[in-house]
Amino acid sequence: MELWNHCENPYPFVPNEVLEEAESVRASLPNKYCDPNVAAQLYDEVFDEYRLCDDIGINIVTNEHHSGINNLWAASPVITGVVARLTRKVRILTLGTLVTVRPDPVRVAEEYATIDVLSRGRLEIGFVKSGATEMVSGDANPMLIREREWEAIDLIEKSLTTQDGPFSWEGKFFTHAHVNIWPRPFQQPRPDFWAATSDLPTCAELGRRGMVNTLLFGGYDRTRQAFDSYKKARIEAGLPAPGEDRFSYMAFAYVGDTDEEGLRIGQKIAWFLTVSIKSAPQFAKFQPGAIAPEMAPSAWRTGASRRPRPTNLDADVLVGQGQMFAGNPDTVARQIKEFRRRVGGVGHIIMMTRQGLVTHAEAEKSFTLAAREVLPQLQDLPPPDADETAWLARREAAAK
Amino acid sequence: MSVVPERMRVGPNEVEILRREAKRPGAPTFLLLHGINNIAAEAPFLGLLAEHGAIVAPSHPGFGASPRPADFDTMYDLVHHYLAVLDAIPADKIVMIGFSFGGWIAAELAVAGHPKLDRLVLVDPVGIKLGGREERDIAHLFNTSPDKLNRFAWHDPANRPSGCYGVGWHSAIGDAMSDAEMVTLARNWDSLCLYAWRPHLYNPQLKNWLHRVAVPTLVVWGASDRIVTPDYGRGYAGLIPGARFETIDEAGHHPELERPDAFVERVARFLGERGKRNLSA
Repeated sequence: MELWNHCENPYPFVPNEVLEEAESVRASLPNKYCDPNVAAQLYDEVFDEYRLCDDIGINIVTNEHHSGINNLWAASPVITGVVARLTRKVRILTLGTLVTVRPDPVRVAEEYATIDVLSRGRLEIGFVKSGATEMVSGDANPMLIREREWEAIDLIEKSLTTQDGPFSWEGKFFTHAHVNIWPRPFQQPRPDFWAATSDLPTCAELGRRGMVNTLLFGGYDRTRQAFDSYKKARIEAGLPAPGEDRFSYMAFAYVGDTDEEGLRIGQKIAWFLTVSIKSAPQFAKFQPGAIAPEMAPSAWRTGASRRPRPTNLDADVLVGQGQMFAGNPDTVARQIKEFRRRVGGVGHIIMMTRQGLVTHAEAEKSFTLAAREVLPQLQDLPPPDADETAWLARREAAAK
Repeated sequence: MSVVPERMRVGPNEVEILRREAKRPGAPTFLLLHGINNIAAEAPFLGLLAEHGAIVAPSHPGFGASPRPADFDTMYDLVHHYLAVLDAIPADKIVMIGFSFGGWIAAELAVAGHPKLDRLVLVDPVGIKLGGREERDIAHLFNTSPDKLNRFAWHDPANRPSGCYGVGWHSAIGDAMSDAEMVTLARNWDSLCLYAWRPHLYNPQLKNWLHRVAVPTLVVWGASDRIVTPDYGRGYAGLIPGARFETIDEAGHHPELERPDAFVERVARFLGERGKRNLSA
């Protein structure tokens, strides 16, 4: 099993009264509230954390979000290029640039190929469908984004793997008459593809394509169902069973000296859910395409006009739901192994640690403990037992 | 007379239409092109307008109960769809009335031209870009808060007739709204977005071709409209040869809903003025 560090580089320094007053903390919060001196310090700190991870063997995930307090990685390819030169050993996953708001996937392929070469083949390419405020800040039509994302992925794949171009592309969403990227990628035929989704039909498609399926905070049931959908689709397509390295899971994580420390600092991560997702109704439940029309009555009748903020985000509750791994190193290793048993195997755990109000020093301490004392406990595990996973799922369903 | 939606075949497609027969021989046929929501059968202006002619009010593909065919997702598709609708309507002289988003479609159709098209009425239409690159002519319907849309769209939101929604429809969500109405509103919203997200509610080229409109044209505007202001309306009318521009007081983006009597009175007066190629020529 491999561990990954996913930091969104949040900006938790906007005064509370401003956040309370704002209709949304993403898309429409003026950037006068972002002090570039503070941002520069944050970049330095997180890049230092990445260097530490390179030394101790924790892989790195970058992503991007736009125009909000939740994320200063405004352009994943730029940040990933920096990480590629700051590090020498670990793998780097971009999860990812938002292909549904990028007008030309060929440029995305070119940027990724460049990073793959300058990192000498350490890049993994992840895709996310995006939506909500990202469609507003990217001025991208929120309708048909699933179809648009798949066409972008297909065009990126063909751009990365075609070595006797130029070739022509005239799709529904993208046209490019003369595709011929330089450089071509370092890894052959191309870097591995990942996608973040819990949508079962999409998981099935990832299975047929052999892409790595990662879930974000899905908890036990949803994650198991997603991975099952992936596996079933491969069986139905007559493809070989997937290895555990095809499955990934992102959770909040804090490894401390003690369980108390793990939970106490882990609690600071919840800022991500309590503050950084506040969004206006036009960017959320009323955004076109956000939900199927048939689901509108239940979505629209509930709650106030603003997305209700989750209330019970106690660290121990999140741990119980499989959405956080927190405690001393042995506890965290045990939690991850339990998660692996209950979802039927997972080869990558992505730790969201430097989040919310967690400090630089706290993040470095957690990564150091994770690498030194958790990661060794996750090597050479016996293969997951499908019967046991199914039994655990039935037991959980009965308990509910 | 019928107010129950019927189905109408248009080429390979089928759409929902509201239809009312004319009350006297020789009366014109009104083709109504709805705005961001399909026209409700209970809209009070329909009965008033029916005194002056037959009514055909289709729901655009993707709106109301009209299916949206695969790959039908641009204004180009809508224009050709409605040219086929004009072909299919059994009337020689059609008065086309386009509201808001439907006003954009109507303007495109009038530029394209059709032999049955006799007169054009545009009611708070969108569809063209007039201001500078940093001026927003048309409120962004998807990025603006529902509360603000509701204030901008109506002289007084309390004037919204029961069962009619228009812009700011989100504010009408409540116990009185049925699940079926919500599903329809959601379909309408998705389809509008597909057709009109960017450029938002206009065709950059259309204003260069409005000189091609060859039928008498009335441009009616709610004086309190802040989704698209009366100044935009004056500019719009100024690009259509001979078009007359009129405002209706105490009405916003939907004068046909907020002041149905005044709206129909303007249309009737316009119809009474016969014999000129265009009204101010």
